[in-house]
Amino acid sequence: MFHLLAMIVVALSVGFGLSWYALTDGRLFGVLQAGPWAAWPDVGSAEPNPYTRAHLARVAGLQLGIGEGLQFTAAADSDGMPLTRDCTYRIQGKTPVAAFWTLSAIGPSGVNLARPDGTATIRSTAIARSNDGAIVLYVGKRLAPLNWLELTGNGPFSLVLTLYDTVVSSGISSAQTTMPAIIKEECL
Amino acid sequence: MTRTLLWLLAGAVLGGIIHIAVILTLPALADRTIWTRVEGLQARNKIVLLPDVKPGEANPFSLDPALSYGLCQLDLAEGPAFVNGIMPDAFWSMAIFNRAGTIVYSTTNRDGIGRTLQLGIFNANQTRLLAQQQIDIAEGLLIVEAPSDQLFVVVRLAPPHQAVRARFETELSKITCGPKQ
Repeated sequence: MFHLLAMIVVALSVGFGLSWYALTDGRLFGVLQAGPWAAWPDVGSAEPNPYTRAHLARVAGLQLGIGEGLQFTAAADSDGMPLTRDCTYRIQGKTPVAAFWTLSAIGPSGVNLARPDGTATIRSTAIARSNDGAIVLYVGKRLAPLNWLELTGNGPFSLVLTLYDTVVSSGISSAQTTMPAIIKEECL
Repeated sequence: MTRTLLWLLAGAVLGGIIHIAVILTLPALADRTIWTRVEGLQARNKIVLLPDVKPGEANPFSLDPALSYGLCQLDLAEGPAFVNGIMPDAFWSMAIFNRAGTIVYSTTNRDGIGRTLQLGIFNANQTRLLAQQQIDIAEGLLIVEAPSDQLFVVVRLAPPHQAVRARFETELSKITCGPKQ
């Protein structure tokens, strides 16, 4: 009797736990990982794999087609610590080749967290860059120099980097995907 | 001890089976699918602009605040569908979704189409008629064969500045969409 109960507990926790993990983190299940950034690479293909299909059903949003671009999200900084609105983050480095990209901050339910009467998203064509083309962006509630995405509220958040018309979706391996780093600056 | 381990192993195997069943049945079990959301927009055979994403407000379609979106729902059972329009001079892209929310075709203005969006969507049967020249189509039409009849088209447009957004959205809303060429 004890054995049967133990087996059922193990079966249920493995079955549902693994499913939940596959659709939230998904690192072992075909999610493209580049530093803190993650993307479902076949989300825009005509024949997505079963995990991507389940992810699509869960989100029920309008994803980008494989020819249109690819969306990356990050819920942690480059050191693996969860992103929180108590801190300011510096996003620095280079992005993969794309027609343009946008960067937004969203809360757990997908709500945009920018200041209501400010800019909702940073767009690559409207930022100050250094001479070598690298980007330096600041995300947080405290006033920051150069390119600043001002957030409101408290609690965790995720960054969404959407690359439009990018080479990433045309089969370049994750090893060659250079994504900017997310570095924690001062915290409140 | 071995007996306990065997039971736990059996549990893990059963868990694996449950996991596979959950992943495979989840798309069929979801009750708020992308299709039910699209039905709510009343965009059958016409372009409907999706509301702009504002900070602090719900964003059910996971849209990018920088872009403007036009959506149109089609049923190829009514005949081949056509999407026509002249787009503003900025980045735009379009995708054709099926009922399950999978993209069956997508393209951008950078694929050499420029500003003219001129698209014909045909199902397998209509493609055969097209090959037999039994359907008349305009010259230069981009032909897409869709595997199913129930579809929706999403046109994304990226206004370069907020100042031109209203004008660009007017242009976007002028796109025609439906069984008439």
